Amino acid sequence: MRSLHGTIAAAMLLLGGSCALGAASLEPPFAVQTWSVDEGTLGVLVEDHRTPLVTVRLEFPVGVWSPWARRSHAEEAFEIGLHDSAGALRARADALAAGLSLGMGVREARLAASCLEEDLPAVLELVRDVLDNRDLDRRELKRWRKESEISWESSQKDPSFRGNQAEARALFERDDPRRIPWEKPDRVETRTERLVMARDAIVRLPGRVIAFAGDLTREEAERAATGLLPRPAPLSPEDLGPVFRKVTSAGSRVHEVAERITRLTQVYFSLGRDSLPLGSPDYPAFVIADHVLGGHFYSRLTVALRHEGGETYGAGTSDYEDVVTGPYSLFTFTRRENAAATEAKLREALRLFHERGITEEERSDAIGSLRGRRLFDRQAAAQILGRFLWERRMGLPRGFSDEVVERASRLTLEEINRFIGRFYDPREFFLIRVEPPPGP
Amino acid sequence: MRPGLFPFTAAVVLACCGTTAGAGNPSRPSGYVSEVLENGLAVSILPDPTSPIVATQVWYHVGSAHEEAGSRGLAHLFEHLMFGETKHRPKEEYSRFHTRHGGDENAFTTTDETVYVSEIGPESHSRVLAMEADRMVSLVLKEENLENEKKIVTEELRVRTENDPYSRVLVAAQKALLGKHPYAYDPSGSKKDVAAATVASCRRFYEAYYHPNRAHLVIVGPVDAEATLDEVRRLFGPIPAGGQEPPEIPPLHTWTYPEEIDLSEDLPPVETAILGFPLPPPDSEDADALDVLAQMLAGGSVDLFREEHVRVRHRAIEAGTEFLDLRRGGGIVFYAVSLPYRRKTTAFADMMETREELSRLRWLTDERLESARRAVLRQELGDLIFSADRADAVGRARWWLGDDGRAFDRAERIRAVTREQVAAAYGRYVGSRRPIRLYVRPEKVPLLVRLFGWLYPLGSR
Repeated sequence: MRSLHGTIAAAMLLLGGSCALGAASLEPPFAVQTWSVDEGTLGVLVEDHRTPLVTVRLEFPVGVWSPWARRSHAEEAFEIGLHDSAGALRARADALAAGLSLGMGVREARLAASCLEEDLPAVLELVRDVLDNRDLDRRELKRWRKESEISWESSQKDPSFRGNQAEARALFERDDPRRIPWEKPDRVETRTERLVMARDAIVRLPGRVIAFAGDLTREEAERAATGLLPRPAPLSPEDLGPVFRKVTSAGSRVHEVAERITRLTQVYFSLGRDSLPLGSPDYPAFVIADHVLGGHFYSRLTVALRHEGGETYGAGTSDYEDVVTGPYSLFTFTRRENAAATEAKLREALRLFHERGITEEERSDAIGSLRGRRLFDRQAAAQILGRFLWERRMGLPRGFSDEVVERASRLTLEEINRFIGRFYDPREFFLIRVEPPPGP
Repeated sequence: MRPGLFPFTAAVVLACCGTTAGAGNPSRPSGYVSEVLENGLAVSILPDPTSPIVATQVWYHVGSAHEEAGSRGLAHLFEHLMFGETKHRPKEEYSRFHTRHGGDENAFTTTDETVYVSEIGPESHSRVLAMEADRMVSLVLKEENLENEKKIVTEELRVRTENDPYSRVLVAAQKALLGKHPYAYDPSGSKKDVAAATVASCRRFYEAYYHPNRAHLVIVGPVDAEATLDEVRRLFGPIPAGGQEPPEIPPLHTWTYPEEIDLSEDLPPVETAILGFPLPPPDSEDADALDVLAQMLAGGSVDLFREEHVRVRHRAIEAGTEFLDLRRGGGIVFYAVSLPYRRKTTAFADMMETREELSRLRWLTDERLESARRAVLRQELGDLIFSADRADAVGRARWWLGDDGRAFDRAERIRAVTREQVAAAYGRYVGSRRPIRLYVRPEKVPLLVRLFGWLYPLGSR
């Protein structure tokens, strides 16, 4: 085993060296390499040899939005894999000093591992065993069931959760998958034989990814990916993909919703509407408009609600950032006795934005900001990999995020303001208010 | 890994760098510059040409624990005021400059320090330094701005603590446990004290603590260290030293605590029993052994207390270990969560039995010690990637450990820790100590849970 001191000192020297290893640049410093592992599996590598670390990401194309996943209890089936009845798999992870986690997003099941480069073969062996664990810990599943019930009760006292919940209920029908994160979760399945079947099906889904970032070569990555997963199934279950219902139209939506939580000393506001999908031709204009309205510390909303009158600590916008429509909102909060004045200011900020649009100076500042911010995503190979996987999951072309900024920078002020005139029409927005019950 | 690449590249870097300020100390990265200017400002510059971002942090060595009675929240309020107007710049310029160039700026106030952080591309960095120097000496404090920021920090206090039942209970526990200790107060302070702040009291605070000799400037990223140091000397050098030493904070491990505290809050129907064990400051001689102990007890996938209490002995729905870390000490906390049917004395007795089991030290093997060391190494290597993480480590090392160089030798220090030292540290601070007990109950318990909650452990086996 390599000396600890030698390893860390060498890594620090390499990262901290003052000789010119290359100036900071807007170009991505780490290239994404892809190859076909087999007929249903994509291999991905982002090399970074600065430190002897490797990140492993496995992604399977099923998430909590999937009707099949819900029916099969795929979420707990996948996540319980690290828990065998004796706790041996977790102990192995600790013995290897590896970080290992399993989770399910709305579109994907993912396993993430990070380790020292020299431990990669043993960690991959562990990953294989986790994904093939047949001794699932039933007692742990029972605890998860209880925990899930307690977490749900807890979420009902959280103003942010309740606001999001009300927003989703206003926009989507009861059986729309976009409401799932905000509704009472299904009871955790504890029959392990059913879960093993579901997990085995997930692992064999075609369209999966085996990805690496860090200190390994293409040859090493290809070797590591080969045979890591069982052969993919020829077909996916028919109801694997989510079925989205139509978003409720502005005309049929409620205009105001009040949610009540006892003991609140503030009122939380959200002026919401349906968001613009990432693939919309208007999305570049939206990126500029959203930045000016609520995307920074001197945005229109923070100036109107924080800097000018101290109504709030926080004001801004929140976007769904997905290829399907979700909620988009302007949000703020204030002390109880100041609620009416703040609501009026929030509505006025939207009205003025819609009516007058943005200025040339705001447009220019927004472009500078969006271009400059791209540096933040280029610090680590794992970030480059994360962006690649996100774009793939969304079905977006590679480099979409950078391309949007470039397309936005080519728009004229008039084009942006025409978009604002369409999208930010106050009549399209509804108000969610999370507040204490009436009375003293 | 490409065979031989890593040591070879490191050797190349060494050869290229020649003599550097950091070369005398093998644990300090090549090119690292650390200097104290004549006015007392500590400056640390770590050049990293592989990073696209320059992280700049100014650590002012004053936090909420240094506030006087009647001014709780002043350090945090002052942090907000530092984004105000100066003699040379309008109020919003610092933030707008960062936004325009795609940078990030922020600040945070803890019990021990107030830190101003900037991350931005290298071409915009020198302007950040100029603005940091400017606000260190030229801040303009005006009534109108103060009144606005008082409203804003009060809203922050409401959203962070008043309207979150978990935060409410933590703040109440902190106060009940620590009594008159300066750490007894949350940095957001009290609404009454914030309302009482005046331009005069804020000016006194600025004059007392915001001076170069009470600050540490840390820069990490793609910069030329020598040129940047010259720039720092030019901008910050003329600022006069001054101010006062903040009051000394007593260490946590020698403080006297109440034996037991009961709290209730508007929480879901579970009860939480907590055993707390105070720890010495991070510059104590046991600190490295405690670092390893933390990793071994709960740093990985297996939390030993949870394993024993929940999985082996079935004494709670959930349990675990938390570590608290402050400049003048910390704590190890074991917690156990159960449905509200069990008596408090039983819950604590069960936890003490689990503590006894851990005190047999069956978990303290050579293999596990080695794994803990390697886990620390992995964390350290991961932290090398981001400029902001390294700037934070350097700032913390100087203020908390008394030497910024200790930001770079953690893995080396951890490597030297022996099994015997870990055993001794466990015995000294956990095994032989009478714990502080804290019990948190929900205010309301549904009748069904109260009547039949005792059935849960039977069903979970």
